[in-house]
Amino acid sequence: MAAVNPLAAAAGLAPGMPLADALSFLPGLVTAPAEPAADSAALTRLAEWCGRYSPWTAPDFQPGGGADGIKIEITGSAHLWGGEAALAADLARHLARQGITHRIAIAGTLGAARALARFAAEDGRPALPAPGDEQAALATLPVEALRLDPVTAAGLRRVGLRHIGELYPMPRDALARRFGDAVARRLDQALGDMPEPLMPLGETPSRRVRLSFAEPISDPADLACAIERLVADLVPRLAREGVGARRLDLAFHRVDGRVEHISLGTARPTRDPRHLARLLTAKLDTVDLGGDPGLGVEDMILAVFAVEPLPAEQIASPLPCSGQVGADGETGAALAPLLDRLGARLGLDAVSRLEPRESHIPERASVNVSISEAKDGKDSKPRRLASPSPPRGAERVGVRWRIPECRPIPTSPSQRCALGPSLSSLKGGEGFLHSGIRKPPRPVRLFAPPEPVEAFWVLPDDPPFRFVWRRRRHRVLRADGPERIAEEWWTAEGSAAADAIRDYYRVEDEAGRRFWLFRAGLAASDLPPRWFVHGVFA
Amino acid sequence: MSQAVSLTALRERIRRIERPARHGVLPFGVATIDRALPGGGLALGAVHEILGQGGDEEDAAAAAGFAAGILARLGPHPAVACASATLSRNAGEGYGGAAGSFTLSRTAGEGARGHRPRAGEGPVLWCLKRPDLYGPGLAAHGLDSARLVIVAAPRDEEILWAIEEGLRLPGLAAVVGEVGRLPMVAGRRLQLAAERSGVTALVLRRWRNGEEAATERERSSAALTRWRVTALPSRDIEGAPGIGSPRWRVELLRCRGGVPALWDVEVADASGHVSVSAGLADRPPPLQRSSEPPLRRFG
Repeated sequence: MAAVNPLAAAAGLAPGMPLADALSFLPGLVTAPAEPAADSAALTRLAEWCGRYSPWTAPDFQPGGGADGIKIEITGSAHLWGGEAALAADLARHLARQGITHRIAIAGTLGAARALARFAAEDGRPALPAPGDEQAALATLPVEALRLDPVTAAGLRRVGLRHIGELYPMPRDALARRFGDAVARRLDQALGDMPEPLMPLGETPSRRVRLSFAEPISDPADLACAIERLVADLVPRLAREGVGARRLDLAFHRVDGRVEHISLGTARPTRDPRHLARLLTAKLDTVDLGGDPGLGVEDMILAVFAVEPLPAEQIASPLPCSGQVGADGETGAALAPLLDRLGARLGLDAVSRLEPRESHIPERASVNVSISEAKDGKDSKPRRLASPSPPRGAERVGVRWRIPECRPIPTSPSQRCALGPSLSSLKGGEGFLHSGIRKPPRPVRLFAPPEPVEAFWVLPDDPPFRFVWRRRRHRVLRADGPERIAEEWWTAEGSAAADAIRDYYRVEDEAGRRFWLFRAGLAASDLPPRWFVHGVFA
Repeated sequence: MSQAVSLTALRERIRRIERPARHGVLPFGVATIDRALPGGGLALGAVHEILGQGGDEEDAAAAAGFAAGILARLGPHPAVACASATLSRNAGEGYGGAAGSFTLSRTAGEGARGHRPRAGEGPVLWCLKRPDLYGPGLAAHGLDSARLVIVAAPRDEEILWAIEEGLRLPGLAAVVGEVGRLPMVAGRRLQLAAERSGVTALVLRRWRNGEEAATERERSSAALTRWRVTALPSRDIEGAPGIGSPRWRVELLRCRGGVPALWDVEVADASGHVSVSAGLADRPPPLQRSSEPPLRRFG
């Protein structure tokens, strides 16, 4: 048996008893399988709910594993509730409303509070020793209260040390020799001779504002109003410190003890109250208020997890947009509210920019970079290095251009066959011969990944005369190519790729649509080459 | 006599109210096209719909190229551009101390009178389902991909919402959206937002398959104009095999206050201009752009 309720305890049952014994005591005993994982999850949720008292909360784990308590660091926050006693009373009231039996203790050290809560406090009577009285309060408690493993505790009992007070006069090194480090350490921690920090659940916010309601609220209009007040509380603090928020979290503490969150990131640091309120309010409908009408929210906590320096500036002015996006600060500032709104609803990853890269591999030459990454100026440099730039001259080696002699283009496959193998390269097009630029045309849309097509061709180096793409047949009437694009051999995966060499053709079908086809694999190899549509020209 | 005068004045007033091009127009620089459009060009601060044809209704590649050509010649709204001019002048002469302490007025001040927005500048919001735009390809039609902010959303409703959000920001040069469905109400909302801010919206219709295209194609919308751009077989170049000069058939299917028409043109070039036929088009001299190609880093 893992746990018993008060009624069963009164009948003489205790945790750890075999079920058969228990049933012999009480034949009518109602049992349910223990679910440690669910218990622990529920406790974590409760610890999160306790965030209304302080940002430092965590479930309290037993030495043998499993948790049955919650630690809250209330230093500096008790006065917000009118003192420690009032805080304990408020906590007790809320827990009772959720139907949670509880014992509360407040002490100067984590160890003392833990011992008092388990061995001194009772339901409805919290243990609140005055500051400095922890030693006296602990003295009468059994040694088990010191978070010792059962073997050590039994050892202490065997030599007649039953209460914590009896350990006070013992020399610490003798204790450590006889019973191991744990006893002396736990004792020191309980008495405050050794520090014991609380590792909070989750991340600790750097700035945090809280709003509690006398009556739970659930109406969206009320919630929106509360958001405005929270933001109005937060913004002056940010302004005083000269920073803007990058990552925020708004927690809704529901009446039933669950906590719902709105988390959001911004494209650039901001402390514009209207903008922040709008971002948060836009996400209100994602919050589960527990049915309709909602159960109600009794606390809202707005926490800022990441800030960046933001010098004083005129806020909400329609700044000019002079040029490139994000590159210069002015345009970025004017666009940021829009990008944040888009990012808040669709996710920051949904908003991106096209960034040119130094690569001759078509799909790497123009990359979608999410706004959230692009705005971090520091990040951009290492990322650019991650895709290696070609060594000097490599470009010329990587792409081999064949500019063949001009020949009349065959208009049908039979004609092409008749003309023989001398037509192996078809070349032409305004991109080369007329503008004088050696840059071949590129499609306006590029498919990632390239879409396979069923192609029919005659000669190894020819473009297909017919291909089927998306169940549509296209007859090729004109073609340019091939443009050979090899993988970047100076990268490890580039040289190992199976279809490292692609021959690109620009083809035009009978309707005039122009496609960018490529053949993967060399014609001479054993495997039959595969054909893909990589893009469509305008 | 006085009655006639007041009647003329009244007509003028009605014309001004009815004028679709309250924010000015963007001429194509091709006389035959501009003649068909009221005001002599594409109305700014309005919603324009661009369709593909046949299989291209799924990819909207020709439509994207056509849109890129328009965007290449489109800058932010004049009011914003004027504010920009005022700011830079003040900053240059050292008025007002720190650069951040200006109070900008959105109205065109006398100092900025006569300043025209520079074409082909200002950010463009492009909302689509799958980000398949390719920078080098757009650059060939005059659109510098550094101006683009791309928003990817899986559903039409979200894209329409994103377009509308973009249309509220007067600093944008234009908003492009690719949607399958453009319901009447949504189109009207976009049109109102565009009129208010002066930002131009180009809505590319892109359909998943033939059935969707068939049902949506004939449905009317609230857009000011509807265009269809079809890739035509390229015009062969004397002595050069392969693909010649690529061409489009540009159809003006619907236009409030204009007449439907169609033109066969050469595709938009690197300055964003289409031309009816090389040598025949009477268009203004090409804009002075920087001598560097727009995407120099592309190898």
